[in-house]
Amino acid sequence: MGRVGSSSLKPFFHPKAVAIIGASDIHNKIGTVVYENFLHNGFAGKIFAVNPKYSQLFGHPCYPTVKDIPSEVDLAVVLVPAAIVPNIMGECIEKGVKTVVIISGGFKEIGPEGADRERILTEMSKKSGVRIIGPNCIGIFDGTSKVDTFFFTPEKMGRPKPGSITFMTQSGAFGAAILDWASYAGMGMSKCISYGNMSDVDDSDLLEYLAGDSSTKVIAAYIEGIDEGEGHDFMRAAAKASATKPVILIKAGKTMRGAAAAKSHTGSLAGTYKIYEAAMKQSGIIEANDFEDMFDMAKALSSQPALKNNRVLILTNGGGCGVMAVDACEKSGLIVQELSPTIQEELKKVFPSHCITHNPIDVTGDTDIGRYKVALEKAFLENDEIDGAVVNVLLQAPLLSTDIVDVLDDICSRSKKPIVLCCIGGEYTAKVVNQLEKRGIPTYPIPERAVKAMGALKSYGDWLKKK
Amino acid sequence: MDSITNNLIRNALNENRTYLLEPEAKMICIEYGIPVPGFRVAKSESEATSAAKELGFPVVLKIVSQDVIHKSDVGGVVVGPKTIDEVKAAFELIMANVKKNKPDARIDGILVSAMAPSSTEVIVGSIKDPQFGPALMFGLGGIFVELLKDVSFRVAPITENDAMEMITEIKAFPILKGYRNYPAVDLKALSDLLLKVSRLVTEHQEISELDLNPTILYSDGLQVVDARIILTK
Repeated sequence: MGRVGSSSLKPFFHPKAVAIIGASDIHNKIGTVVYENFLHNGFAGKIFAVNPKYSQLFGHPCYPTVKDIPSEVDLAVVLVPAAIVPNIMGECIEKGVKTVVIISGGFKEIGPEGADRERILTEMSKKSGVRIIGPNCIGIFDGTSKVDTFFFTPEKMGRPKPGSITFMTQSGAFGAAILDWASYAGMGMSKCISYGNMSDVDDSDLLEYLAGDSSTKVIAAYIEGIDEGEGHDFMRAAAKASATKPVILIKAGKTMRGAAAAKSHTGSLAGTYKIYEAAMKQSGIIEANDFEDMFDMAKALSSQPALKNNRVLILTNGGGCGVMAVDACEKSGLIVQELSPTIQEELKKVFPSHCITHNPIDVTGDTDIGRYKVALEKAFLENDEIDGAVVNVLLQAPLLSTDIVDVLDDICSRSKKPIVLCCIGGEYTAKVVNQLEKRGIPTYPIPERAVKAMGALKSYGDWLKKK
Repeated sequence: MDSITNNLIRNALNENRTYLLEPEAKMICIEYGIPVPGFRVAKSESEATSAAKELGFPVVLKIVSQDVIHKSDVGGVVVGPKTIDEVKAAFELIMANVKKNKPDARIDGILVSAMAPSSTEVIVGSIKDPQFGPALMFGLGGIFVELLKDVSFRVAPITENDAMEMITEIKAFPILKGYRNYPAVDLKALSDLLLKVSRLVTEHQEISELDLNPTILYSDGLQVVDARIILTK
């Protein structure tokens, strides 16, 4: 529990020298994949292979033990069978390695024998101050430093471009799937951390570290459970993190605790999840229901300022999309604020008479880019009664083109208030959306998802106001 | 620290009891400044009648027994005796019911309590969670809690702000502000109650479950009519 301070985690993410213990050159072995990740994916520090079976790997020297490496080692990645992991850990401590990622399985998760072995690791870490992530994990992907212990080849798992979202996950496989998906979807990631059995570093340690990590703007977390009695540490760390940046969380396992065992009314009503929900509210965590939800929110929270109040403008060129957005606003606690007569008059002066000038503004299907620009300037940028904008752009409209990207980008750069976009469509739309997202404008395929993302910006705004 | 609460909890655990008797739970309430209707524990019919005279009619009589958790189920509760004769009859009836329905029950006496006027009923509770420790619950009584599960939770200890959020976030909140036959109730007193329960369960980690049910809310103040406290060993 952050006992040596979260700064002791820095070498995990920014090591100057790494040792890959259990490196290999046999095709598709995890020792090979991880070693090759470091060799070929742009890691700038020194890389040392460790394996007594080889004297050379891929033309580089291979050392029998970590102690034989003729340099300091900041991070060791351990990929050897569980039975010898405690010995390897002992050698890492002797060597003065600062941090260790233990990928190997065969610990707490397999039963008492494994749990004993894991207890030894925890003790060794406590005594020496050498920090451990794992065991039984996939470890770290860092898009900036290129630390990459994910043992999946680039053909099977893409690596996302550098970005500002960090995903910490109790499920390693989920982490790998997210990285692959983010890479495919063109979404930038700062880090992905799979931390397995938490023999040393746990959720709270990571939240505390990420709170101070300048390359992380949004923390997304997937957790299944917190250890007994650790709830308050978790809440403290989460509150500390959410004071500086949004924390979004998916909690899996929402089923009720056995209500039959409860002797009181309160007991029979308290599902474990109810209390998790309360803990999240009390520590400023934004709750996501599923993975789509989480990254929809993360996209908006990493690119847009928080929503200060709950009054939103809806701008659309299709009536139906506008109405659906209005309905969704209600659910997210957002108010579709009526526009003042003065603003409506100004819009009427420039719009053809068939356009609708109250909120939601409908510039209609024959709109050109100019109407979007005027509406956003008059009713959003220059209007103090509006706190955020949900903009529908149906690109099927004959007079709209990719030029809208520049107009929206310009509005965003002049705005201190959040904007989210919704573009429904096919191939052409996808092309424009890609350009919009490259400029950091969060865009969604249906109005409900755009509004929900705005709702997350409101949740974060509410939390900051409470502080 | 030698508080009444500490002594009562220690005493119960020494006797191998994991739940407190209603008078014990109410003494704890009193120590924490939680309002309960006046009560006495009567061992005999004459003690019951003099208690009723002192407290004022009408009264409520309830069995006090470490072997009876669900008092109504064994015929252990009589509500509303208005005269000395009615109190005597109620005393006899409860004794007879308990002897019939639960012959082995050890009887510690009969609780004679002043009757709180009826008004909006709520439930304030606490449960100790393995991860987060004591947590608080709040909801409106009856179908709101039982059928609709319209309740709010917070991890203890809570702040004043948390208490107010707990109250306002339930769907039935408009009822507390006054709705049709429901009067507007004292929200400050309710928020204070949540804060007091938060302090109680935070200071006494032996409490695994707690129900103040019903708690009756008035336009000025509130009364906790029944209190149940379960302990862990």
